[in-house]
Amino acid sequence: MGYDAVLPLRLTKQLLILGQIYSGAAATMAAYMSMGEAHRRITEYLNRFSDAVSSQDGKSLSRLLSITSDSSSLQFLADALNTFQDANRIIRQSESSQYADILVPVFRALQSYRLRNLVESYLAFEKAANAFVQEFRNWESAWALEALCVIAYEIRILAEQADKELASIGKSPEKLKGAGSFLMKVFGVLAGKGPKRVGALYVTCQLFKIYFKLGTVHLCRSVIRSIETARIFDFEEFPARDKVTYMYYTGRLEVYNENFPAADHKLSYALTHCSPLKEANIRMILKYLIPVKLSIGILPRNSLLDKFNLTEYNNVVLALKRGDLRLLRHALEEHEDRFLRSGVYLVLEKLELQVYQRLIKKIYIIQKQKDPNKAHQIKLEVIVKALKWLEMDMDVDEVECIVSILIYKNLMKGYFAHKSKVVVLSKQDPFPKLNGKPVTS
Amino acid sequence: MADRRGQRQRPMITKNYSSSSSTKSHKPLNPNSNTRIAHANKSATVNSGNEDNIDEHQDIPNLVGTCPFMCPVEERARRERLRDLAVFERLHGNPAKTSSTLAVKKFCRTISANNVQASDVRPVSVLEDTLNYVLNLLKSDCRFEVVHDFIFDRTRSIRQDLTMQNVTNDQAIHIYERMIKFHILSHHKLPKCGSPDTASICHLNMEQLTKALTSLFSLYEANRAPDSIYKDESEFHSYYVLLHLCSDNQSESLSLWFRRVPFVIMKSKEMCFARRILRFFRLGNYKQLIYTTEAEASYLQYCIIEPYISEIRALALSCVNYGGYKLQPYPLAHLSKLLMMQESDLESLCVDCGLQMSSDGTGKVLLSTKLTSTCNPKRGYQKYCEVVSERLERLAAEVSEL
Repeated sequence: MGYDAVLPLRLTKQLLILGQIYSGAAATMAAYMSMGEAHRRITEYLNRFSDAVSSQDGKSLSRLLSITSDSSSLQFLADALNTFQDANRIIRQSESSQYADILVPVFRALQSYRLRNLVESYLAFEKAANAFVQEFRNWESAWALEALCVIAYEIRILAEQADKELASIGKSPEKLKGAGSFLMKVFGVLAGKGPKRVGALYVTCQLFKIYFKLGTVHLCRSVIRSIETARIFDFEEFPARDKVTYMYYTGRLEVYNENFPAADHKLSYALTHCSPLKEANIRMILKYLIPVKLSIGILPRNSLLDKFNLTEYNNVVLALKRGDLRLLRHALEEHEDRFLRSGVYLVLEKLELQVYQRLIKKIYIIQKQKDPNKAHQIKLEVIVKALKWLEMDMDVDEVECIVSILIYKNLMKGYFAHKSKVVVLSKQDPFPKLNGKPVTS
Repeated sequence: MADRRGQRQRPMITKNYSSSSSTKSHKPLNPNSNTRIAHANKSATVNSGNEDNIDEHQDIPNLVGTCPFMCPVEERARRERLRDLAVFERLHGNPAKTSSTLAVKKFCRTISANNVQASDVRPVSVLEDTLNYVLNLLKSDCRFEVVHDFIFDRTRSIRQDLTMQNVTNDQAIHIYERMIKFHILSHHKLPKCGSPDTASICHLNMEQLTKALTSLFSLYEANRAPDSIYKDESEFHSYYVLLHLCSDNQSESLSLWFRRVPFVIMKSKEMCFARRILRFFRLGNYKQLIYTTEAEASYLQYCIIEPYISEIRALALSCVNYGGYKLQPYPLAHLSKLLMMQESDLESLCVDCGLQMSSDGTGKVLLSTKLTSTCNPKRGYQKYCEVVSERLERLAAEVSEL
């Protein structure tokens, strides 16, 4: 009967599932299809496939491989496959028979996906993808690059869904990791001198997404090194969209490592080169850029935060403007889970020093209004009192400690006198601005 | 992310070991790899490449050890012949004679699971007894480096046996927890031993500490139940944070690590303590870091923090030196109280940092010379670490059971 070795065991299960579907529970799944119609749809797909290859139409080919897009034509095809059951015979008899290694598993992936057997779908698609890469190597020009990118995307999405399914039945989720290995192979295929190399950045970004999701972020290092140091790659040649994504992820890595100047550079690049229509993407970039900017003393306008729905930063910014330590701590607590998940919590926590600076500056300003001659001398007790109003309980020793740190890190210019319990500020520029540089470590 | 409130802490369920004790299907670990289990994989498996088998996982039966002694009989005989017996293993001090109650299986670098006999591997109950015996040696009168060396090696062998049998249940968790506590204690005591190899022994100890801790976290994840965490899980997470106070670009940043920690653990008392210490350290708040450590740290937390104390004290001196008013030198008496150290030690630290002192009417004072030379004794410089504290002394005395 020409079934693939795996299918006979599955046949009963599939028929049972189809039976369940036909017996009317879920409304939207397979519609009844005659054998003739099923045959027609399958043949139609195979014709489109061979046409795409022979005319080197990358776009059409891509559409035929977008399994998770759930396009209606692919859904019908999947139903047809589930109805007809012997698609392999049709493949062998068609003009696309030479691509059986790709098509047989693609069909299986489609069928499985339609029946929501995500692990099976992933495994089949991975087979198809491997076979595709083999063919891709042989095609000289880069006409199929778009299709390869679609495959890279699909394999990641399918792997994510497969892992969810595995986790839900108590098995270990390892498909996404496998997808990562596959994509590294693809990267290797693209890392050559020919025109195919412009696809490498897209694959890199898919790898980033996988590594970030898995938490194996350290694996990004080797791809980054390849992109940035290999002579075959000229960053400017890559498509703009890929460059933005790349800078976004590498910028995020800099944030995690608290390299603020580098983070600022990369995330700002992503921001300025991102299409203004892609508001969701802009929001994602800003989510990381704002803490970076805050760390180098640049505050966003409230209108920006409102426009992109980043209101979790409202109170942080306000705390910096007011010198309100209580508000900063409160803001961090209120959105603690969110900040921890995005990984900016520690960055925001470190803003405390700037908040202290602002508080003391306000005291200075108030004193200046009362008596300009004595303004530059601030009793530590006054700072203690100000903090008490903010419900922050700190004794004189701790305030002296904070003051000495602020001076040491050049957030304040002056000196502190231990015996007199007073801080004496420099008459000139006592509160130096950060001027785009982070606080000295 | 699901907010796992309701911290119903699970008591330590010591299941009787059987090969079906873990409900998840695991493939055997590659025993040639060290005991590190890939953290991201969330379970103790490697990709066996069996991709055609989807539902039907070939449950390769796990190796179950049958050796009833702390040391397999063959190894015992061999080492007697070769006179390769540690001090603790010698019967009446005889370097060529041991017994089944004294010999403990050594760690073997070159083992592979393929040619290992079940009779050479100790089942979990024996491993637990072995661990008890070995940790009990901490009470002996021997020099600490000698005790450490023995326990270090023999616990590594215990981990090896666990890995070969792919044990990933509660018993494994408890064993790892106790071994990690040993490494933390060693981390604290080794530098004070004054042996010439201290630096490399400490380095190796730290290496095993971090490996074991990473494995422990994988074990926690593999056994994750929906509404509960293990009794000491938060404490061990706090150890991780404290071990990474100083960010270096080699290891994963804490920001990344925090993303994976369940929220209920992040909010635990132990983690909140560790996170506060982290905040104080990063901001340079020397007063609160020392003060809070003294007031709240558990003994083992203190052991980890202690080496950072000398660093933060040096920072304090730098700040006083840089920002202090030169006509009001800082009294060492007050500073020593603030930094919780003996005044004489503070004097020595000042000298080692190249800072100037003098005397005024009431005592010694630190002069502020506005030199920005950062005085930074090497972190391994144990002399200036201890925190003068009754509470911590009491905790140190209470540490008996690991």
